[in-house]
Amino acid sequence: MSTRPPPPPDEGDDFLAAEYVLGVLSLPERLAVESRLRREPAFAEKVAGWAAHFAPLDAEYPEEPAPDLMPAIEARIFGRPQPVAERIPRRRWVFAALGATAAVAAFGVYLTRSDAPRILTTRIAAADGALIFQARYSTDQNVVTITRTSGPGPAVAHDYELWIIAPGNPPTPAGLVSAATRTLIVPKLSAGDTLAVSLEPAGGSPDGRPTKVLGAGVLSLT
Amino acid sequence: MNQAASPAALFNIERDIPRMQDDQIAHLLKGVAGGDRMAFRALYSAASAKLYGVCLRILRNRADAEEALQEVFTRIWINAGRFDADQGRAMTWLISIARNHSIDRLRSRREETIDSSEGDPFAMIPDPTPGAEARAVAQGEAGRISKCFEILQPAQAAAIRGAYLDGLSYAELADRHAIPLNTVRTWLRRGLLRLKECLAG
Repeated sequence: MSTRPPPPPDEGDDFLAAEYVLGVLSLPERLAVESRLRREPAFAEKVAGWAAHFAPLDAEYPEEPAPDLMPAIEARIFGRPQPVAERIPRRRWVFAALGATAAVAAFGVYLTRSDAPRILTTRIAAADGALIFQARYSTDQNVVTITRTSGPGPAVAHDYELWIIAPGNPPTPAGLVSAATRTLIVPKLSAGDTLAVSLEPAGGSPDGRPTKVLGAGVLSLT
Repeated sequence: MNQAASPAALFNIERDIPRMQDDQIAHLLKGVAGGDRMAFRALYSAASAKLYGVCLRILRNRADAEEALQEVFTRIWINAGRFDADQGRAMTWLISIARNHSIDRLRSRREETIDSSEGDPFAMIPDPTPGAEARAVAQGEAGRISKCFEILQPAQAAAIRGAYLDGLSYAELADRHAIPLNTVRTWLRRGLLRLKECLAG
């Protein structure tokens, strides 16, 4: 290999965009890029540019008849009982405690091998799908990173607040999540715990209980 | 996969998904965005084979690819309203969802890290460049990249293609191309630099 020096630093963003599109980055690096994509339009433009450059390669992917997963997908989204035998054991939790306004549009429900990396995720979506959060919890750091992937910030004089609900326990507040992305230090969580987002008066819940639950999702291993 | 080894043949990427199919998928996506479950089923019929092909190629495991496909269609249902036909093709949009999710799964399955101090990959320098490039490319310069691949070293071209199509990590690229792990990033970026120069010129 030759020893030509690496490209100058101001090229870094463009290379990072290309590396993201190619997929060579590690998961933490990918998440860092995705978080920048949401708040840096110029950087997002670079990623879109590389994606467009590489898109012709998509023609190389072979078509492969997929099994009919529609019943499972619809059950996942619309909450119906699954008519097909399940490949992987799944757990579901009742959301009655969250009240009628709570709805779970969808959540990642794959529980994998016990040796899988300990990253738990969930999607928290409002009933009409107009507001979506994606949450990720890393067991080695005890932090939740929560990103609003769709929908507006809270109305004037309001805040979004994150809640943790261990099965059988009342919600405990975990911090405000009005910003597009927040990283919060939280108690130890496990797969099966529920995260919920509520709409609160500015500053957060006045009485330690969620004022209006907007959506909830169950943490599962990725 | 088993084409002749010349770069031109290796990057025979002129084949294209028919425009008609794309219009149909864009139409179905519009229905899905409006909550039409029949459109969602029709979309599964129309696009699942391609998207399953993407998941399977990257994840190399049917059970995993099936799980991924479920998540991909869940995301499609939720995000269909964000698809903008003026900004790109429907199938490209769907494939990007399948690729991104498959790569995330792959990376979380086998977490690999590489020294990221090299080349300042996280320089937080704001970039004032306007968005002309993405739009120009999206407007139909699709064939250009195949020509630009020809000017790369064959190994670099193969690495870029392997990363994109198979989700190869830096560690796998280093292994496959017999490049030391601590220089593979610089090596690939050199290829990307040449590719970028070609695409710009």
